[in-house]
Amino acid sequence: MSSFEFDSALIALGLTLKISLWATAINLILAVGLAYYFATRRFALRNTLDAILTLPMVLPPTVLGYYLLVLLGRQGPIGEFLEHYFNIRLIFTWQGAVIAAAITSFPLVFKSARAAFESVNPQFRQAASSLSIHHFFIFFRVTLPLAWRGIMAGTLLGFARSMGEFGATLMVAGSIPGQTQTLSITVYEAVQAGQDQLANFLVMLISIVGFLILITSNYLTPRGMRNTHA
Amino acid sequence: MKRFFVLIVLTISMLGAQAQTLVVSAAASLTNAFTDIGSVFETENPGMTIRFNFAASSTLVQQINQGAPADVLATADTYSMNRAQKAKLIKTATRINFVENQLVLITPTDSKLNLTTLTDLNNAYVTRIAIGNPNSVPAGLYAKNTLESAQLWQYLAPKLIMAQNVRQATLYVSQNEVDAGFVFLTDANTAGKAVKVAFVVNTPNTIVYPAAVVTGTTQPDIAQKFIHFLKSDAAQNIFTRYGFKSVTQ
Amino acid sequence: MLSTNDSSKNSLNNSLNNSSSDRSKPATNKNSVRAQHRNSNQPQTVWQIDLQHTLGQGETQFNVDIQFKSTAQRIVLLGPSGAGKSQTLMMLAGLVEPKQGLIRFKERVLLDTSKKICLTPQQRRVSYMFQDYALFEHLTVAQNIGFALSKGLFNPSSKRIDDKVNVWLDRLGMADAALKYPHQLSGGQKQRVALARSLVHQPDALLLDEPFAALDRDIRGELRSLLIDVQSELNLPMILITHDAEDAQAFAQDTILINAGKIVGE
Repeated sequence: MSSFEFDSALIALGLTLKISLWATAINLILAVGLAYYFATRRFALRNTLDAILTLPMVLPPTVLGYYLLVLLGRQGPIGEFLEHYFNIRLIFTWQGAVIAAAITSFPLVFKSARAAFESVNPQFRQAASSLSIHHFFIFFRVTLPLAWRGIMAGTLLGFARSMGEFGATLMVAGSIPGQTQTLSITVYEAVQAGQDQLANFLVMLISIVGFLILITSNYLTPRGMRNTHA
Repeated sequence: MKRFFVLIVLTISMLGAQAQTLVVSAAASLTNAFTDIGSVFETENPGMTIRFNFAASSTLVQQINQGAPADVLATADTYSMNRAQKAKLIKTATRINFVENQLVLITPTDSKLNLTTLTDLNNAYVTRIAIGNPNSVPAGLYAKNTLESAQLWQYLAPKLIMAQNVRQATLYVSQNEVDAGFVFLTDANTAGKAVKVAFVVNTPNTIVYPAAVVTGTTQPDIAQKFIHFLKSDAAQNIFTRYGFKSVTQ
Repeated sequence: MLSTNDSSKNSLNNSLNNSSSDRSKPATNKNSVRAQHRNSNQPQTVWQIDLQHTLGQGETQFNVDIQFKSTAQRIVLLGPSGAGKSQTLMMLAGLVEPKQGLIRFKERVLLDTSKKICLTPQQRRVSYMFQDYALFEHLTVAQNIGFALSKGLFNPSSKRIDDKVNVWLDRLGMADAALKYPHQLSGGQKQRVALARSLVHQPDALLLDEPFAALDRDIRGELRSLLIDVQSELNLPMILITHDAEDAQAFAQDTILINAGKIVGE
């Protein structure tokens, strides 16, 4: 493996981390917010909407990538709007890769967070509201602290998924070295081109990083006792 | 007793008939043509079913190398077939070129750019060009070779967007995400009105499609029969319909 | 150590009002209203309740139909399990909205479905004590008690304890346990913490859901007396629900019998 290949591997690693961190940050707000809403309110079509939001997990990533390309591309409803009013283009950019990664890992964070919120006894919220504390503050002072382990575990899973995201990213962001060529794409192309040494090195790299993330996630997953109500 | 015997023979021959399946691993760009050709072949040879496995040429070679069962291999470039031959994955004696293709430059349908030669790609209005990854996509490799021999590769490299296959490259063009793209004429025809063919690219090497019987085949006779069929008039007509050319050499 | 000294009947109230970290509250107004109430000749109506609600569907449907009016400071809703007592209490607290109803507490209207008035639990200033106490597991005893004193985004500090919290800790003999966590407490201790938590911010009323059900017999008597003492010291209207007739006997000035979602006696 040449030093050039080694450098490009490190660049790909840095890029992958950047994209994954942004995607996870988006999901932390979006998925956790929606999960709280779904866990605490009853509304029509709740189960149906939950299933739709979980769909990215079931669809093949290339199919997802295709639909994202159609939606976010300059001829698509969202892409056209963004280009016309903000001069923003998402295709072939790392920002597009962030969106692809965020969407594919969304279900993991959403489902874990929803389960975590549902495991918090509603009496805590009710007690706090009868003590005249506003709903908004109750979320940060009571609900979130009691649910954070499950949320963290789900977030880490989502982060790991973003790191490994490939199919959708490839479609939407292309494979531009230094800009959108993530680790998983680099591995794929190395394998395709028969660059076995580089491929093996990259696989090892991805595995180590992924392993560390997943071990942390397992450590944080709630153990029976802690989350039962008083 | 005699009736019993007849029954056995009939059953065995029926089982035998159903067991005639041919696995053909073919390059993705052959999807439409091969599917039609396969139907004709099955009609003319009742009892035979063809199972197609379409993927990038390099992927197909990898699969066979790792032991995937296939009877016939048909690639979109000679390099992949050479690699297969070197690794003794195919029966060299059965290798033939069955059809040719042409490389074209396509643009989005409503593109205002008037591109007629390769040097036009240097134009500042051409910001992005889609090309199959030369490491793994035959069309991309032909494009790269052409650009290199035209001394244009290093100037155009920053504008290139690598696609994993020609379908993806075509998609980028039809979605107006790139200003131009290098694909085969057959791919452009499949895309129809979604893209516009600007001009045919003169490639230094002719784009030939080789086919051969896979060494590990369990149906050597039928595999051979299929390869012969590719050169028949019936098959060649189908190829022409999709934009392929008959072999000139 | 629980103090039941009669002469210090108003000591708790005074300590709470005089504590130095008094957050701005119209405490003096309330005191004078209470004083007026004590001195007036006609007992003022404390609660006027009229509630209709349906729970569940089909076979398991359960109708609640409660009306009563009371001038008593200490009310007990007595009835067997599943009689609808908890549901009634939750409606009073604003945690459940009935299909139809009116809730008047002294001169305030907390709920009037005909006029589309429905105060949120936060607006009602009526504390609710759960049967399982619902103490916040991630906060210390002191933080739990002082929870309502922090109005914003942050919980009370785990290190610096508010004076009002200290008053309660002393009153309930829990000063040693201030920095402990709920899972380290006994049942009786949890009950006392829950009580302090629901009263520290001086609410207008207190609702208690089977407060003694999870406790051993010997502790029950102790805590009943504590509750009565606190109630009279603060002059705070309380409604307690229970299935235990002893609780009613010891605590109630007004007992309302409930069964199958309806009042069956007073």
